[in-house]
Amino acid sequence: MAEKKKQTVLMQGPIPASFIANSIAKHSSKTNIGAHSIFLGQVRTDVVENKTVLAIEYSAYAEMAEEKFYHIRESAFKKYDLICMHIYHSVGVVKAGEMSLFVFVSSAHRAAAFEACREIVEQIKKEVPVWGKEMFEDETHVWKTNT
Amino acid sequence: MAIEVLLFGQLSEITGADKLTVTKASSTVELVQVLHKQFPNLALANYKLAVNKVLTEGNTVLKDADVVALLPPFSGG
Repeated sequence: MAEKKKQTVLMQGPIPASFIANSIAKHSSKTNIGAHSIFLGQVRTDVVENKTVLAIEYSAYAEMAEEKFYHIRESAFKKYDLICMHIYHSVGVVKAGEMSLFVFVSSAHRAAAFEACREIVEQIKKEVPVWGKEMFEDETHVWKTNT
Repeated sequence: MAIEVLLFGQLSEITGADKLTVTKASSTVELVQVLHKQFPNLALANYKLAVNKVLTEGNTVLKDADVVALLPPFSGG
């Protein structure tokens, strides 16, 4: 639980692949880790009423969202035997094909990493006050709904 | 008495604002009545309330400087 400090989850714009790669590289010194589980949420070109989604503009109730992320993180550390955890979520415009959610969970053995990662992603979708506005090519939009 | 009201997502489109101040509301039920009267389309929307960042259900007493957020269904990720 070395990295259990408070972190800021929300970041402006898409999450670059290089950021994710760097984040992985930073863990090479933590040799008690045996398993990383990573979830990446990517913006998809959904088709709604014959119109294709080009991008999602995310907005958040930032103060409440950070508190929720913190709570999700704390409960995962309590429930699972984890070594470290990082969560990043975009705000602002993220184009189709770009990443908007990065959940990175590390543990000694794979079971805890797999299970915690899934649970964290499900909780983020359900409990964190973030909204996605799906933007179409004709400049209209709809508000995304999570299933 | 001033309650700060925060609006997010489609609710800020309905009201044309992401922040409002309501002066006459001593509870969340009263506040919602005031808002629905001012913005009838808000009554058709699906949302939850958070008082000072905590989700509330039922009626909650409000005091001066409370922050009430109207939260449409979350769609992060």
